[in-house]
Amino acid sequence: MKKSFIAAGIITMGIVAIGCGGGDDTRNNAYMPDMAYSRAYETYTMSAEKIAELQKQGIFYNTMPVEGTIARGEMEPYYISNDTTGYAQSSSVQDPLPEMDETYYKEAERLYLVNCAVCHGSKLDGNGPLWKGGDGPYPAAPRNLLDDYSKGLSDGTMYHVITYGKGLMGSYAHQVNPKQRWMLVKYMRSIQSGSKPAATDSTAAAATGNGTVTSDSAAMAAPATN
Amino acid sequence: MLPCKPIIKRISLFLFTLVALFLTTDIAAQDGKVLYQTNCQICHSLDKNLTGPALRGFLERGPWGDREELYKWVHNPAAYLATSDYASQLKNQYGTIMQAFPQLTNEEIDAIAEYVATAPPPGGTPTGGPVPEGAPDNSNRNSIFFGILSLILAVIALILMQVNSNLKKLSDDKENIRRPDPVPFYRNKIYIAMFAMVFFVVGGYYLAKGAIKLGRDKGYMPEQPIYYSHKVHAGINQISCLYCHGSAMESKHAAIPSVNTCMNCHKAISSYEKGPQLYTEDGREVDGTAEIAKLYKYAGFDPARPNDWDPAKAKPVEWIKIHNLPDHVYFNHSQHVKAGNVQCQTCHGPIQDMDVVSQFSELSMGWCVNCHRETKVNFYNEGDSTGNKFYSIYEKFHNDLASGKMDSVTVSDIGGTECQKCHY
Repeated sequence: MKKSFIAAGIITMGIVAIGCGGGDDTRNNAYMPDMAYSRAYETYTMSAEKIAELQKQGIFYNTMPVEGTIARGEMEPYYISNDTTGYAQSSSVQDPLPEMDETYYKEAERLYLVNCAVCHGSKLDGNGPLWKGGDGPYPAAPRNLLDDYSKGLSDGTMYHVITYGKGLMGSYAHQVNPKQRWMLVKYMRSIQSGSKPAATDSTAAAATGNGTVTSDSAAMAAPATN
Repeated sequence: MLPCKPIIKRISLFLFTLVALFLTTDIAAQDGKVLYQTNCQICHSLDKNLTGPALRGFLERGPWGDREELYKWVHNPAAYLATSDYASQLKNQYGTIMQAFPQLTNEEIDAIAEYVATAPPPGGTPTGGPVPEGAPDNSNRNSIFFGILSLILAVIALILMQVNSNLKKLSDDKENIRRPDPVPFYRNKIYIAMFAMVFFVVGGYYLAKGAIKLGRDKGYMPEQPIYYSHKVHAGINQISCLYCHGSAMESKHAAIPSVNTCMNCHKAISSYEKGPQLYTEDGREVDGTAEIAKLYKYAGFDPARPNDWDPAKAKPVEWIKIHNLPDHVYFNHSQHVKAGNVQCQTCHGPIQDMDVVSQFSELSMGWCVNCHRETKVNFYNEGDSTGNKFYSIYEKFHNDLASGKMDSVTVSDIGGTECQKCHY
């Protein structure tokens, strides 16, 4: 009787010890799974199957915003279409933003370094880390944004290209919102013409780091710092 | 003697022209390379169809063998298009027409053609062979070894004790000393007490350890639907974390990039050639090109017909979430990344060195609270206009800092360890 108790104790102890320690590719158990894992639908948890399941119960769930609506603070949508006529029309579109001040310039620079510099280079010379003078993995040379062709483009056309892409460049509409796109256009223009807002130099921008992610690691050195 | 001079003269002239000829062809090819790089390679590659067709061997295709036709085409593609079936066929295939280059002279076009014809073929030596693996971790093997050793010693000690008691009994029998029958070891109270103590300590240790690990996943490393190496993207190719996870600056989530973001580059990069050989965690070789092909399957992209791609038909890649907080904890990325200026690597570890991502931090409450106690808040400094204006509402702390009452303010001081800050 006594022995069987001891044996049972040892076995339960073993099971507990093994059961708690999950492997590398499985999650550990939680104390209260109902509290740990949300029953409510969270971002990324809506798969096509789940939506279909809900539809069977008469619930129509859609992850897209209602058509024709604009988010608060968002600029007016860009109606010009993605084709050759749209490309020609885009040259008449005017930049709606006021002149950049120092804060805006810094934010625009950050946006450029994060989203554009990886191909077009942090100096806009078309030699980002993905091209590296032909040694990078990208098979085509990115446009040198300081050449005459780029300087000759109108603001609207640059905006159009960021929105829809051109040649091998893809659309960046899902990565930068309309306001940020105009900020990027302004930033590129200011570098092309060599004029910056007063009292901004790269060291000051790096030192403050207000709102920017600066890093000394190799991963972020080129795009995220100055 | 007399006829010698003209011969020498003639020979030297011949040599001179020969050298000059070599030099000029070389210069032409050099110029061609520069011209090719500045004008052509934005849309063309030598061996890959991109925005326009691959250029190697183009002189043998279509009407381009005739240089006059080539000049006309390069100077004004739109006008030439109407006169050539081959050109309109190209337009149909690539969906776009070449930019005009009226500024290129005929000689310059010749130089480019010369360069394309003589350019060395791709391949050669791939950069960086397989990286030698570091020394295997010995600590685990050592502990097993010591465990076995102490077990063997314990068994020997037990046997010796039994032998000792048996010998004692034999000698007692010989000398006719009567003692009570020896108790077998499983009834021996000393043995039972010792065993119980060891069991209590060892069992308790594992039980406590197992209980602490409940709901924690440090080191969790699931196999993802596509072998995506952060080391190749963020480390070697220096793509900013925020290029793909940009919403870490703006929202609660550091969003998982859409297939569209992947295709920004992978529309053109269809093979993995220039990086080091990739391995899974258990040492299997990974074919990077095959992994990119998996992405194309999700995107519905056919690399042979890039212009037919319809991004609207792409299906999301269902990545497995690694860093997960329980539902009863509120965590906001933008609060930490934008306002707090915290590095990605602080919580996610050296992600730019990870081929396969695993959970780096404990993500336990103690871990959160500890960081909130230790991290200093970057208050705005009027003097040199550094720091974050976001915190300007904490007037008392600003005054205390100015008067020297405090030397720094931690997250905990501004309410970072209040319960309802994260649990509500």
